[in-house]
Amino acid sequence: MSQQRSSYAVGTGLFIVLGFAALAYLATQTSSVANVHQGASYTVDAHFTNIGALKERAPVKIAGVRIGQVQSITLPPGQEVADVKLTIDKSYDRIPQDSVVTIFTSGLLGDQYVGIDYGSSQQFVANGGTLARTKSSQPLEEMLGKFFGAGGVSDNIGGTYTVKADFSNVGTLSVGAPVKMAGVAIGTVQTVVADPVKLDAKVTLAIDKRYNAIPDDSSAAVFTSGLIGSQYVAIQPGGSPDALKDGDEMVLTQSAMQLEDLIGKFLVNGSSSDTKSAGNGKSDIPPAGKH
Amino acid sequence: MNVRASQHNNVVVQSLAQIGNCGLFLLTLLVAIPRSFRHVRETIRQLWFVGAMSLTIIMVCGLFIGMVLMLQLYNVLSIFGSTSASGMVVALAVYRELGPVVTALLFAGRAGTSITAEIGLMRATDQIDAMEMMAVDPIAYVATPRFLAGLIAMPLLCCVFCAMAIFGGHLVGVTWLGIDNGTFWSNMTAVVVVHTDIVNGVLFKSLVFGAVVSLIAVFQGFTTPPTSEGVAYATTRTVVASSIAILALDFVLTAFLM
Amino acid sequence: MTDTVRATPDDSTLVQIRGLTTVLNGKTIFDALDLDIPRGKVTAIMGPSGTGKTTLLKHITGQMRPDAGKIHVNGQNVPELSREQLYKLREGIGYLFQNSALLTDFDVFENVAFPLRQHTKLPEVLIRNLVLLKLQAVGLRGAARLMPNELSGGMARRVALARAIVFDPMLILYDEPFVGLDPVALNQVLKLIRTLNQTLGITSVLVAHELEAVKQVADHVFLIANGKVVAQGDPKTIANDGSPWTRQFFGGEADGPVPFQYPAGDYAQALGFAGAAK
Repeated sequence: MSQQRSSYAVGTGLFIVLGFAALAYLATQTSSVANVHQGASYTVDAHFTNIGALKERAPVKIAGVRIGQVQSITLPPGQEVADVKLTIDKSYDRIPQDSVVTIFTSGLLGDQYVGIDYGSSQQFVANGGTLARTKSSQPLEEMLGKFFGAGGVSDNIGGTYTVKADFSNVGTLSVGAPVKMAGVAIGTVQTVVADPVKLDAKVTLAIDKRYNAIPDDSSAAVFTSGLIGSQYVAIQPGGSPDALKDGDEMVLTQSAMQLEDLIGKFLVNGSSSDTKSAGNGKSDIPPAGKH
Repeated sequence: MNVRASQHNNVVVQSLAQIGNCGLFLLTLLVAIPRSFRHVRETIRQLWFVGAMSLTIIMVCGLFIGMVLMLQLYNVLSIFGSTSASGMVVALAVYRELGPVVTALLFAGRAGTSITAEIGLMRATDQIDAMEMMAVDPIAYVATPRFLAGLIAMPLLCCVFCAMAIFGGHLVGVTWLGIDNGTFWSNMTAVVVVHTDIVNGVLFKSLVFGAVVSLIAVFQGFTTPPTSEGVAYATTRTVVASSIAILALDFVLTAFLM
Repeated sequence: MTDTVRATPDDSTLVQIRGLTTVLNGKTIFDALDLDIPRGKVTAIMGPSGTGKTTLLKHITGQMRPDAGKIHVNGQNVPELSREQLYKLREGIGYLFQNSALLTDFDVFENVAFPLRQHTKLPEVLIRNLVLLKLQAVGLRGAARLMPNELSGGMARRVALARAIVFDPMLILYDEPFVGLDPVALNQVLKLIRTLNQTLGITSVLVAHELEAVKQVADHVFLIANGKVVAQGDPKTIANDGSPWTRQFFGGEADGPVPFQYPAGDYAQALGFAGAAK
């Protein structure tokens, strides 16, 4: 009888051991051990103007290796920067104070994470300290733009002047899209609004002050980076001796082409006699009385 | 018309009364936990019956779920050329939903019914009364150990189920369909998070399901009329009520944990 | 019970029931029932089916609470006892169930050892000796390792008896101990009841229908019907006391004070002749 009892106990013990072995297997073999919340850690702050889709518990990485996670994301009242608290493993306590904290995206469509690039300072950030140098999340459109050859979009928004341009169709052009000349980004699209009277799209372009000698008869066109890329505004310089000034309006514009049309063009080998292509490619002369 | 309405009314009222009684019974069970500590041996014995004896069915079903899931995913994902993600999807699907739910349904069918039938027959053959007469509290000796055993067994069974499902997925995906072994594991480890998937998904859900299934099973066994017909009816009701409770709770828990 | 109207039980009375009233599902089972069970004797309670003999036993053990009345067992009023006190009392009461109620999970030995294991921390050797002693007393020491489903009805009842006496109780309640037994098994159980009573002095209460068996073992018989004691006395003479109840019950007549017809409405009306009758 005591044998009967102990056989139950042994069998049950085996069952429990098997269950916990399975749990250990799940926790270690099918998930990254680094995903486990680590033991000793310290917290640092970082401020971002845009955190994108960063979530709590997102990984914090140095050189691609996980060293901690995002503890909390708060927007302090009255401020326009998000306060992100990072929990970092105690064993990585020698992070220079001038390190740059960036919000990255894993791959094109993956989750966002926080990456830290080491600086050169001999001062190390302490528990509760702040990493001052940050780079905010970059919208996917911007990244795609970069990917398709937009180059570095200048961020220094202080030194720009604005010009206006009217398009009959802006396609999917969005605020923040690059403005390029000769394929090099020289500014960004500031606003895209529909004109309630003329029923076309009014686009404001913010152009870097450095490029202050753009002829005022230059034309603006909405182009697409590659087939599926984001749209941008391309400026094709004209021959006028006068340069565009802040608040000027660009007269010659070329609207966005629909992807379908592009493909159609592509298929008929872009024959110039094609009325369709001519129709789509025509310059959009704004109605008189604009100026 | 009136008669039908009142019958409807009766069904609603009876269901509510059942749920209320079940809740009260849960209280009785919980109150009896300290008293059942002296029956630890009985709890271990029940753990053997509801846990260890359910292992075979859980393992076999887990294996096949993992295999068939992998087969289906492979066919769909091959359209997009992303078959390497199938291991990861198997893991997530099994951890978050299929593991706890299917284990709980199997557990209700395998262990829940046997608990109900056993207690019902113990009542029919006066064994419960006999315990009362021997000054042994049937709640502390019969009900609570079975409840606790279900509570402990379910998460363990669910872990075994998930491990078998991963193994089955690996078997079909890597061994049979030729997904790269390293990709299979690295994709899986990249997305599976211990906290949300294994602790919340596997362990927490199955703990709740284990409590619900064993509560319903013990409750039905104790409240059914002690006749052969009553026991048969109660056994059916255990499966029906458990299944509904599991699926409804799964939705609530998923929404709550997300 | 005209001779004992004292409120407090004396030494010669183990169970004293006063004014016991029970209503189950609208049906009155006991109607101010008075009954005394003498200490150290074998008392038989008889009566037509459905008169609540088993219910009476359950009242004595506190498994059911009456609607009114007092049940003193060894000086304690059962309906007023707390759960712990009730359990304490029950350790001194053995109860033999109609269908033996052996725990099907355990073999014979463990069934008899069950109360010992639950209530004592005796060493294994002592438990073993005690259990074998009790099994020897019922003649089933050789069956110690059999499972309950391997036993015949008579053997199961003897095992249940061994289990009931494992704590040497002051009182044993037998619920229909003779039902379904062949003559040999019946005589074995009879012999056991008598032996236990005579050698250990255990007060025994048995609920039974079999007058012949009761005659052999009981010292006193109560006949209960309609919620009251309708006759009592020595089992050898009670059948001849001349009351209609005893005449019907012991004579086995189909109709009498216990009606053949279950109470029902007017027969003619039920058949639809009500209008014609008017």
